[in-house]
Amino acid sequence: MPRTLRLVLPHGLLLVATLLLYGAATGIQANTGAGRIGPDAWPKAIIVAMGLLCAWEIARRLAVRPRGGGAKTADASPEPPAMQVGKLAAGVGLVLSYVLTVPWLGFFVATAAFLAAFPWFGGLRRPLLTGALGIAGSLALVVVFMRVAYISLPLGEGPFRALSLALLAAIGVS
Amino acid sequence: MEILTHLAGGFVHLFTPLNLLVLSVGLVLGMLVAVLPGLTLVMGVVLALPFTYKMGVAPALILLTAMYVSGTYGGAITAILFRIPGEPMDVPLIWDGYEMARKGDAALALGWSLVAALVGGLVSAVVMVLLAKPVAQVALAFSTPEFFAIVFFGLASVVTLSGTSLANALISLCLGLLIATVGVDEVYGADRFTFGQPFLQDGIEFLLVMVGAYGIGEVLTRMSTGFASQGGEAGAGTARFRTAFPGLSQVLGMKATFARGTATGIVVGIVPGAGATVSAFVAYGLESQYGKNRAALGTGAPEGIVAAKSAATASVGGALVPLLAMGIPGSGATAIILAAFLLHGIQPGPQVFVANTDLVYTVFATVFAGVIGMCILGYFAIRPLCKVLEAPEAIVSAFVVVFCFVGAFAARNNLSDLNVIAAFGVLGFLFERYGFPIAPLVLGTILGPLAETNFMTTMVSFDNDWTVFFTRPISGGILALAAVGLAWPLVKAALKRLRAARSAHAQPG
Repeated sequence: MPRTLRLVLPHGLLLVATLLLYGAATGIQANTGAGRIGPDAWPKAIIVAMGLLCAWEIARRLAVRPRGGGAKTADASPEPPAMQVGKLAAGVGLVLSYVLTVPWLGFFVATAAFLAAFPWFGGLRRPLLTGALGIAGSLALVVVFMRVAYISLPLGEGPFRALSLALLAAIGVS
Repeated sequence: MEILTHLAGGFVHLFTPLNLLVLSVGLVLGMLVAVLPGLTLVMGVVLALPFTYKMGVAPALILLTAMYVSGTYGGAITAILFRIPGEPMDVPLIWDGYEMARKGDAALALGWSLVAALVGGLVSAVVMVLLAKPVAQVALAFSTPEFFAIVFFGLASVVTLSGTSLANALISLCLGLLIATVGVDEVYGADRFTFGQPFLQDGIEFLLVMVGAYGIGEVLTRMSTGFASQGGEAGAGTARFRTAFPGLSQVLGMKATFARGTATGIVVGIVPGAGATVSAFVAYGLESQYGKNRAALGTGAPEGIVAAKSAATASVGGALVPLLAMGIPGSGATAIILAAFLLHGIQPGPQVFVANTDLVYTVFATVFAGVIGMCILGYFAIRPLCKVLEAPEAIVSAFVVVFCFVGAFAARNNLSDLNVIAAFGVLGFLFERYGFPIAPLVLGTILGPLAETNFMTTMVSFDNDWTVFFTRPISGGILALAAVGLAWPLVKAALKRLRAARSAHAQPG
């Protein structure tokens, strides 16, 4: 990606978002009565402010960008640490998988799988430890949340629901 | 006298078996989150929030306040002993505390840190009790323009103190304010930014933004750069650790340092948005400029420990003043405490001193008892706390994610909320990555509705006359202060450029 584009990309995307949001804000309708400020005024004011800030920051970055492939960027903030894309992708994937499978697998099974997989992908390559941690940790959390704190958590569907119900019965949650 | 009577009542409420148990749990948890790798104080308080849903309001506030108090101390131990600051506020302790430890005075460094936390915490608690009610009484006379101005000032302070680019901080704030507008508008019942999604009609709970951006976002950030600790390294060999207190004459000899640090912590704590970290750094900076022993700072001088630690702990009492008296959080952790108030149907502010006097003074009593309990715990629990460092960061982070999801789900039992916090987790990561501070986003989401309500009510009451915000003396004065705060970083940068240009011009050749 060209350096200049990389420099202004976050603010450029936000600027596009503000334009889209302004369009959405013009669709806010309410019967406000003559001369009264409507429910679209506050969000519109914020969107305009945000758009102006993004435009200003893009202009500033373009105006002071380094010439001739200089090492420093226009932004005074330090360079962020090197990113391990694989690990990040694994992290995001695991978080999304957990969110999407919890309704189907139920809290106990989904959490056990997540607690085992996350440290593994995070670099803790000790399968016995992470596997045991997954099951024991998930069980402990079920006891803490569902028996002690009385929080109702997803039970899952089909066989996973049956498993969750059996587990709850075993720990004394009716 | 009336204050003392109420405070005694607060202690009576606190000293029931259940509340004492909750206080103890809160103190231990606060210490743990401050020590554990991958967990910050604010994240810890966020993660504890779901456990308070089913509690009464008093135990809920005692738990979170106790965590807030003791969370300001735990990281000092690891900073001094292992050069691992548990929290950003503990970084100045490395400069002198760790240096003392290297010279063989670790026990004394820990002792100074404990005495500083005790003095700073107790003095700020006294100031908090004396100041909160008068501030609330002044605020009782305020109308909507003044409240809008105060909220605006709070938001502006968060932005100016967020440390990164001012434009990015303001963009983050605008996004937070915008998120707060999603859903059905309270005044006219109009749908705003719901895009035909029924779950968006109820709005986006600030809790989801907070938990997602702080909790999940932080975990993704740490994972993307590789978890720092695989466990077992830092906490090894804890058997020799202990605390040795300085003598009374040594403490009295440093009374000016104690006074400067504590006063800085209280004042910076009161400023909305500036918490313990800013307090610690400002106090250390003041000590390095005005302290008697300033030349020795950074080489293992106890003054450096006392200044930073007394300020960090004193900021707790300071930050609770605007929260309780005006409903404006003074720091990240007090934003979560505000959330606990709101989740229990109580809006902190001037009225809370009238309608919930017992509750307010129970919180005050919790700060006093918390500071003392924290010091007792800090003295006796050094070894087990250091052992905690052996926990691998990857495992701690996995549990943080699960706690975040449970917290988000339990608030409304809505599975859609899980998707929302995952989305805010990714947004939090991107913010962190590209230099957008998260605090303005979160505070914008929390204070947005308050700002909008007061703005809209003013506009309706004063026939759309926006000049009323500037012509009323109090709101005008507060807005002027906010404007100065916002302009100051720009003025400072311009002055710096001017000085640089002058010195370049003065250079011969």
